[in-house]
Amino acid sequence: MIVADLKPLGEIAESISPFQKVSIVACGGCVSVCLTGGTASADALARELSHPRQYKKRPPIFDTTTIQRQCEKDFVAAYLKIPDDADAILSMACGAGVQTLAETFGKVPILPALNTSFLGSLDEPGLWREKCQGCGSCVLAFTGGICPVTRCAKHLLNGPCGGSTNGKCEISQDVDCAWQLIIDRLKVLGRLGDYEKLFPIKDWSSDRGGGPRSMQFSSEET
Amino acid sequence: MSYFVVNENCNGCLACVEKCPANALRFQDNGENRTILHNMARCVRCANCWRVCPQQAIEFQHFMENEWDEIISLGLVHCRVCGEPIYTADLQKTLTGKIGSEIEDLCPKHRELDFAARQALFLSRRTA
Repeated sequence: MIVADLKPLGEIAESISPFQKVSIVACGGCVSVCLTGGTASADALARELSHPRQYKKRPPIFDTTTIQRQCEKDFVAAYLKIPDDADAILSMACGAGVQTLAETFGKVPILPALNTSFLGSLDEPGLWREKCQGCGSCVLAFTGGICPVTRCAKHLLNGPCGGSTNGKCEISQDVDCAWQLIIDRLKVLGRLGDYEKLFPIKDWSSDRGGGPRSMQFSSEET
Repeated sequence: MSYFVVNENCNGCLACVEKCPANALRFQDNGENRTILHNMARCVRCANCWRVCPQQAIEFQHFMENEWDEIISLGLVHCRVCGEPIYTADLQKTLTGKIGSEIEDLCPKHRELDFAARQALFLSRRTA
């Protein structure tokens, strides 16, 4: 799922300070699961942002609403209703949701309340870790289900670098060496022979290097 | 039918209500009773309620395996040859309105056979 962090309150307050009435629109999808979207977080943010200490002038007036998936344009256009007198929308969604609102509400400024962080999984209650970079060319079948593109700081595909020490990455002792994890996993699977296979040079054109990506189904499929 | 099911361990502590990010849970204290309410339209199935419940009272499997709710029941049209259900009478009516002619009550297989028979008849008449 997409994981996002709340921006610092001061930064959000500064971005909305020119406006009188602000609609906070939370997404009810991924980010509500990581507690930065959803109705409860939207109400809490409205309370925090209503405090005069955040502003040089009077704070804006807030209303809050949640829409299940803020990243679907037709769905948002049909079901998201904001007050007619809203000066701006503060979106509690990932970047895809913010941009969907910007395309849907052409004349209303759309401001992000979140920093979209990564595609990750919930490893422990309250702890999400990045697991996928959406590189468009998945190698997990060959690496014991552990992604070197995401979890190795150097995105190495053919074993660890010289900075791997005692199973930890040289960037931090808190970061596991992805290749150590892969080797350990391949051992458990009895597939250590796979470690000897060389990956060909990866085609990064399916990653961001190829520009913005899209996917379109045929009309029969949709 | 409720998707949110608790077992006998639930003691009404409200941990689930407080930690629900979607405000899909609430409670009412009426007279002698505390009632916990769940709103499926708001629920995002994040399982936070299940995760935080100190009593392990939430039977989350009901969110994943549940019965089918009947939405609507409509009359069917069957193939006049084999009796296979082909579409609803209402869809037939809609399509008839859109294409401006009656649709024959035939399944794809018998429509093909019917077409082949008509074609053969046409050709035999033409050559006769």
